[in-house]
Amino acid sequence: MRNILNSILLVLAAASANHLMAQSDSRLAEIAARQEEKAAKAQPDEPNSVERGMLWFREEDPLRKFSAGIGGFRPKIGGLGAGTGFAAGLEYRKTDLTRARLTLRTAAQSTFRGDRKLDLQLSAPRIGSDKFFAEFYAVRHDYQRLNYYGPGPDSQKTGRTDYRLEDTAMDFTFGVRPLRRLTAGSSAGYVFNNVGHGTDSRFASTETVYSPAQAVGIDQQVNFLRAGVFAQYDWRDNPDGPRHGGNYFAQFSDYRDQTLGVYGFRRVDLEAQHYVPILNERRVFAFRAKSTLTDRGGDQSVPFYMQPSLGGAEDLRGYRPYRFRGNNLFVASAEYRWEVFSGLDMALFGDAGQVFDRRSELKIGNMESDIGFGLRFNQRDKTFLRLDVGFSHEGFQVWVKFNNVFKKGPVHTSSALGDF
Amino acid sequence: MRTLSVKSFAAVGAAALFILGGLRAESLAASKKFYSDDPIWQSPKPAPAHTASRKLNEYYDFLSNTFFPAGERAAHTGTFLPSQAINTVDEVANSAWFTNRHAMRGMSIEALKIGPGNSHPPAAGMWTVVAAKNEGITPGFRIKDAAGRQYLVKFDPLSNPELASAADVITSKFFYALGYNVPENYVVHFDRGQIQIGQDASVKDAKGNKRPIRESDIDEMLAKAPRRADGSYRAMASMVIAGKPIGPFQYHGTRGDDPNDLVEHEHRRDLRALRTFCAWLGHDDSKALNSLDMLVEEDGVPYVKHYLIDFGASLGSASFMANSPRDGNVYLFDWKTSATQFLTLGLYAPKWQHAKYPAIPAAGRFEYEVFDPLHWVGDYPSTAFRNENPADRAWAARKIAAFTEDEIRAIVSTGQYSDPAAVAWIARCLIERRNKIVHAFLTGTAGLDGFEIRDGQLEAAYVGPSSRPPMNVRWASFDNFTGQKNFLPGASSPVLPAVGVEYLLAEIESLNGPAISVYVRNAADRKSVVGVERHFAPGRHQ
Repeated sequence: MRNILNSILLVLAAASANHLMAQSDSRLAEIAARQEEKAAKAQPDEPNSVERGMLWFREEDPLRKFSAGIGGFRPKIGGLGAGTGFAAGLEYRKTDLTRARLTLRTAAQSTFRGDRKLDLQLSAPRIGSDKFFAEFYAVRHDYQRLNYYGPGPDSQKTGRTDYRLEDTAMDFTFGVRPLRRLTAGSSAGYVFNNVGHGTDSRFASTETVYSPAQAVGIDQQVNFLRAGVFAQYDWRDNPDGPRHGGNYFAQFSDYRDQTLGVYGFRRVDLEAQHYVPILNERRVFAFRAKSTLTDRGGDQSVPFYMQPSLGGAEDLRGYRPYRFRGNNLFVASAEYRWEVFSGLDMALFGDAGQVFDRRSELKIGNMESDIGFGLRFNQRDKTFLRLDVGFSHEGFQVWVKFNNVFKKGPVHTSSALGDF
Repeated sequence: MRTLSVKSFAAVGAAALFILGGLRAESLAASKKFYSDDPIWQSPKPAPAHTASRKLNEYYDFLSNTFFPAGERAAHTGTFLPSQAINTVDEVANSAWFTNRHAMRGMSIEALKIGPGNSHPPAAGMWTVVAAKNEGITPGFRIKDAAGRQYLVKFDPLSNPELASAADVITSKFFYALGYNVPENYVVHFDRGQIQIGQDASVKDAKGNKRPIRESDIDEMLAKAPRRADGSYRAMASMVIAGKPIGPFQYHGTRGDDPNDLVEHEHRRDLRALRTFCAWLGHDDSKALNSLDMLVEEDGVPYVKHYLIDFGASLGSASFMANSPRDGNVYLFDWKTSATQFLTLGLYAPKWQHAKYPAIPAAGRFEYEVFDPLHWVGDYPSTAFRNENPADRAWAARKIAAFTEDEIRAIVSTGQYSDPAAVAWIARCLIERRNKIVHAFLTGTAGLDGFEIRDGQLEAAYVGPSSRPPMNVRWASFDNFTGQKNFLPGASSPVLPAVGVEYLLAEIESLNGPAISVYVRNAADRKSVVGVERHFAPGRHQ
């Protein structure tokens, strides 16, 4: 029995000694004990399913791969012209020609309603230490149903018709950047036009409503040789989401009728954008004025489909695209933008503009106008999505665009639609 | 059958009592306030870590911290959770996170300029590009110099030459002096001809696939960087940190496979108070992804060392451009501010929108007049920053107060601005911001620091603004096991009362600032301060 008791005492004494060791009067020893305890059950952290998904998305970047495509081919979304709706297609892009100094791009797109676009671009954006650039651009559009409301500022909303336009343009552009903010250049090219019967069953085709006098060139197909010069001075702080500075450009083009010799004209496009910030650029007043003027010889005229137009997401936002057409155009817009949070600016805007034949017709009282509001979503100060709602006496229009409201400048001459 | 003798019964009983006594002693030991080695100034030797690499998605980090914050937070505004990872004298011990430097041992101006090191800039001669990043907001590449060392090279934005490179270097020196682990950052100048492409150097193409780097990639990258009058380029080269990178640390929770990571990060003082340091230095991009855990080895023991990295978005810089005026003043997204702006059509303009910035491109947007040290915020919330309590702020402010104007100017000079106006402005902002922080967090007794027993009396340094507040002391005896204190009548001067107790407690009261409890170990041979507690009234300083 004594042995048993001695054993018990020994066990108890040993246990007691352990307790005493564990209660060592040392902060460092206590922390070290906790380290040992954690080391015994250390487990790597596992991200939850949401984070795992986001990590996968970041690593694999499916959107980037989708947009990058395979073997130079990738999907092409958008970019077919105002009022044509959603466009999709396929693009081929090769950027590593001649030691990556030359880029080839070609694309084919179509809208659900059957509009088509084919284009080919060969560009050398940086020649001679970035001072020069050159580009060849060829494009073919086949618009199934473009709207025409009749000539001039007095056209009626109820006069909506549609026509088909096929144009093919080839232009060569050469430019120089003598200063960091100044770009100038010239271009020359050829445009083939073919205008025809509109396919929108809701509206009459243009030629059935408007005479050749009201829709000049509706009855004739005309090709043009065109040449021009352009200059741009851009001192915006950030062209993708400007908060101060300005962007001013001018483009002169001479169109020579190569088919009938009756539709030759000269065209001047002028645009001035100016951004005035207040309150540390958290509020911006953005102003834009643009004018397109055409000059015809005594017996010459401008085909209606090549006349400047007003209406749509880029100018008179309370009106439908191509709502007004005329030989000349003036439009001014003003926006008040304010930052809601770092990814969103809101805007209140107003637009006023007029198409006119003679300068004396241009009067404030004659101008069409609208007001509206918009949202500008941006990431790192680059606007990637714009929602504008414009109200006019003809109703309201909602625009969702993946661009800034004002154009960047004369990149190259393009279709007969009047775009730069 | 034999029965237990009285002697045996007594022995068993004695053993049982001994065990119970031991248990009680343990429980007492566990509850006692001060251990024999308090206060500790150095964390124990790390336990060996076998830590796996962990990635963090930047969008997940933003969204979770903005909308679903993790970690323990105080229940109400004005209430505070106590700081952890501090010693008994309200300080942070040296560890893998933090090392007491300038505020404790007064670094020389030369040492402040050296920071984490200035003897390993990229060696002259050819630099070999081993990897490149041509996308993202700050393109850059990784180079190997002639000495075989590797660096991450990043550039300034075209609109603001010298902006990000200077900020990255200057801020790294400040953080080092404050006590954090940072990489060696250098301002470098080089010619295009110095750059060659390594054999296996790769870059991600538009599809996200790796491909060999071409000369045109380098040209494209350099085209986005400002060029100096002599045709050379200026950049920031950050020497690759020694060890194995295992991903960023987060501002909440602990790393499950790091045995030495014992304190929830949202309660670590060195991470909570980082908010005030970031406020001072305008480091609003102080997110988890701008931290890096490195598995390093010391004396054969692998352990995790925690670094702050990437300071390109500090001072007046946002890395790729000048700061947005909202940086530091409001989160990227904030419900209240957003709703206010939405509903008022932007007619309500908060004070920060009226801040004035000089037109100095290299300085970006950095200022001090509107700067509010209490309400400064990073780009998006972090639980540790949100948990910063007045004691954390006061601790940070005491560290910042240690920088003299000359020392601040000396560190700013390491940014190598070519425009003297930029040097002057950045230094002035830092000095004025320091003053604001000191005024906000160290007024009154909050400015008392460095308690010690000298010549038989309690003394303290004062680092607060204006004049030193009077130290009204009431002495008490303190029971280390029960926590009971008994005030000693008549003992109301800094002189230690002559009583034979193990611990003394000095209660310092003030109308302005926190009440402070200073605990003194009252050994016969040596009397020393063993504990400091600052008591801030709930709701104040919020």
